[in-house]
Amino acid sequence: MPGKTPNSNGGRKPVENGVQKNSKDVANDKSSAAKGKPAAKKGAKEGEDMTVVVPPSKNTKQSSVPPPADAEGDVAMEDSEKTEEELEVKVDPVTQTISDIKSNFALLDRAVALFDARFSLRALRSISSLRKRLNPDILAQVIAESYPPTSPSASVAKQLLSAIGRENVPLGRQSSGNEMEVDSEPKAQAKNGAKKDKEASKELIPEVDVFLAILVQVYMFDTKQFQQGANFSKYLSERIHSLNRRTLDSLSAKVYFYFSLFCEQLTPQAPSPQSPVVTLRPTLLAALRTAILRKDVDTQASVIVLLLRSYLLTSHISQADLLVSHTQFPENAANNQVARFLYYLGRIRAIQLRYTEAHEHLTAATRKAPASQCALGFSQTATKLLLVVELLMGDIPERATFRANNMEQALHPYFLLVQAVRVGNLEDFETTIAEHADTFRRDSTYSLILRLRQNVIKTGIRMMSLSYSRISLRDICIRLHLGSEETAEYIVAKAIRDGVIEATLDRERGFMKSKEVGDVYATREPGEAFHDRIRACLALHDESVKAMRFPMNQHRLELKNAQEAREREREMAKEIQEGDLDEDDLGGDFDGM
Amino acid sequence: MAAERTLQQIITQLQSNPSLPYAEASSLLSKAKLSLLQLNALTPTANAPASLLLLARSVYEHGALASIRARNPDAFTRYLSQLQPFYELPSVQLQPDAEMRNKVTGLYLLLLLTQGRYAEFHSELESLGTREGIDGPDRIESDRFLGYPVKLERWLMEGSYDRVWKAMKKGEVPSEEYGVFSEILTSQIRSEIASSSERAYPSLPLSSTKSLLFLDSEGAVVEFARQRGWAVRDGTIYFPTAAEAGEEEKEISQMVIENTLGYARELETIV
Repeated sequence: MPGKTPNSNGGRKPVENGVQKNSKDVANDKSSAAKGKPAAKKGAKEGEDMTVVVPPSKNTKQSSVPPPADAEGDVAMEDSEKTEEELEVKVDPVTQTISDIKSNFALLDRAVALFDARFSLRALRSISSLRKRLNPDILAQVIAESYPPTSPSASVAKQLLSAIGRENVPLGRQSSGNEMEVDSEPKAQAKNGAKKDKEASKELIPEVDVFLAILVQVYMFDTKQFQQGANFSKYLSERIHSLNRRTLDSLSAKVYFYFSLFCEQLTPQAPSPQSPVVTLRPTLLAALRTAILRKDVDTQASVIVLLLRSYLLTSHISQADLLVSHTQFPENAANNQVARFLYYLGRIRAIQLRYTEAHEHLTAATRKAPASQCALGFSQTATKLLLVVELLMGDIPERATFRANNMEQALHPYFLLVQAVRVGNLEDFETTIAEHADTFRRDSTYSLILRLRQNVIKTGIRMMSLSYSRISLRDICIRLHLGSEETAEYIVAKAIRDGVIEATLDRERGFMKSKEVGDVYATREPGEAFHDRIRACLALHDESVKAMRFPMNQHRLELKNAQEAREREREMAKEIQEGDLDEDDLGGDFDGM
Repeated sequence: MAAERTLQQIITQLQSNPSLPYAEASSLLSKAKLSLLQLNALTPTANAPASLLLLARSVYEHGALASIRARNPDAFTRYLSQLQPFYELPSVQLQPDAEMRNKVTGLYLLLLLTQGRYAEFHSELESLGTREGIDGPDRIESDRFLGYPVKLERWLMEGSYDRVWKAMKKGEVPSEEYGVFSEILTSQIRSEIASSSERAYPSLPLSSTKSLLFLDSEGAVVEFARQRGWAVRDGTIYFPTAAEAGEEEKEISQMVIENTLGYARELETIV
């Protein structure tokens, strides 16, 4: 049992994250690319090129083959039963992609049949691997093969085809390969669920429609057809709205995700009040309302996160705050949605000067962020904000944070900042801000960082109070570059009141006299720190217990086993009592138990 | 178009003598709002002509300024929220007037600052960064109207009260309406200074307290000291030694026992 649980979890989460974070990551990469770090820039550029340039190259290869590819596909599938391993290598990428896409239909079918969202999630997860191989021809082929021309959903298929500019592809093309399919059918049964499904039910479930539509969205996004994408998404979201199926939840969440992503890319871009992001809000809010009424957790989580993102893009902090206070983020939302939600919440709280809460949310966000490479952008952004919030709280972030893999370069400006704050050097602080202003502004941490000024001063005063038992206000003023002695006096007085330092001021003679610092270990502080840690460990334990998943009705099986065992035991006891038990018998029973 | 003409008249009237008593100004403003209602221009509509939008915006702006002069923060906030949709219009539809907008926003920031609503202050500040026509926070600081509250906030947070004081004197105030807040700010920083002094100094001579608290005479200092409950003897102020936070909230040992019992209970559930 324990072996099973982590397995299903471990296998699920990271990959799933990969999918959902992917598109966001592209955006993040861009921002990090523009950060002016040559190496990072290059890396990101290359990554982008990969996604953009590679499909066309396949495109050309594919367009030379298209008509036979269809028949070939079926042959290949048939063959694959016999010489599977060999074919894994040889198989045409187009055919492979098509069969990959189709294999997801089986998953969706099972999701509907068993009413288990996990299968739809698995289908969604495959998008990240499919995404690089998509092109209109492949999509058109899949659509054409999946929809028979006479089915009622043919109009849907037509829509999909027109969206990718392949209106003239006739539906139901698979009839040419039908014969072979029938041949292969008996053998393929077990392995190729997609095909069986196609044979069994000509009527496609809406989940498949939506899944294909999502693929179309992904394709449009990757080829930067933002306007068409937005239009298509609009149509799609309306369609989803009219379909009230719980098995569609995780898919519709995805649809809204891409819808909002398209809008973000359209001009005029975000900060402008005329941005399409703003006009999208009513749609999203309506979707949220419907999702809540339908208890559609996936869409709720996803739409709340999208709305928050949208509000923060246009700096409508108070509106975002209101949204948070008026909605309840679903507890059992997908991990990555939770991570994003926490990040946005952390940002809102940081802006509102509620640093403790912000810190809590951001720590959780960075911990929940998937460790995989594809969500690196998110981890970086969240970590940056977390660092700033830690500084604002008067803490100094751990040095190890900056040494972490993949983080070092992105966090470098923040590293300099932390150094300045730690030493309490106002001059360094100002130069760091001036030098990296653009970076900070792009990370939208600039205004938060400006607030750090007072922390730098406070740290400076604390350093001085620790090093000198008595220091003149004049010296403080010079070291901290404060402008005038009066300013220094007021600032020190405030620091004393705020409990930053233990000292007294002497106005007549103009100096600050530090009080003796007591032994920290004599206070309750270490005990409290210890208590906090233990509490964190206990909470972790509780959460892990809650996160475990048990197969349905497994306990009944065990109960039955236990019952049987008990009965056997009783019988054995009876036999022993009666004294007619052989040595062999006993040994055998013991083995069995 | 009669309504539009009346509007125009009212605006010129408001513009020409800003020192109009609030009662008169508010009656003019309500007349203006009535005409706006007749013209269906209380809120911007998609096909409203630019001239009308402009009129409506300036009515609200004057209303906002008048209510600040009359020290009526609620009315000001109301006008500000009415202005918001006008400010969000694209510049093709309504030519933005950055100076007036900054002035009103700056006043709002100052209002939030004096009311101690720091969270809202910073939320507002954050949205300034993305506003069209302002490239970044640097520009905010260099703006006459917006920079003022921003700097004040920074100095207040740092504790550089003398700079706040100077900013309020010496004609540093960007416009007359901003001066309205000086009084509130002064008493605010005075009480801040007083509470810091209580902790920072064991005693203070009266003469230097005067300059410390920005008071005019020693008499005022004595009066202030009396209000705060400070003892004045021989020209020196003695601060009451902060009554050490009474009894230790809870014995440390008791706390330790409680925690340990808690751990034991948790362990029980785990094992």
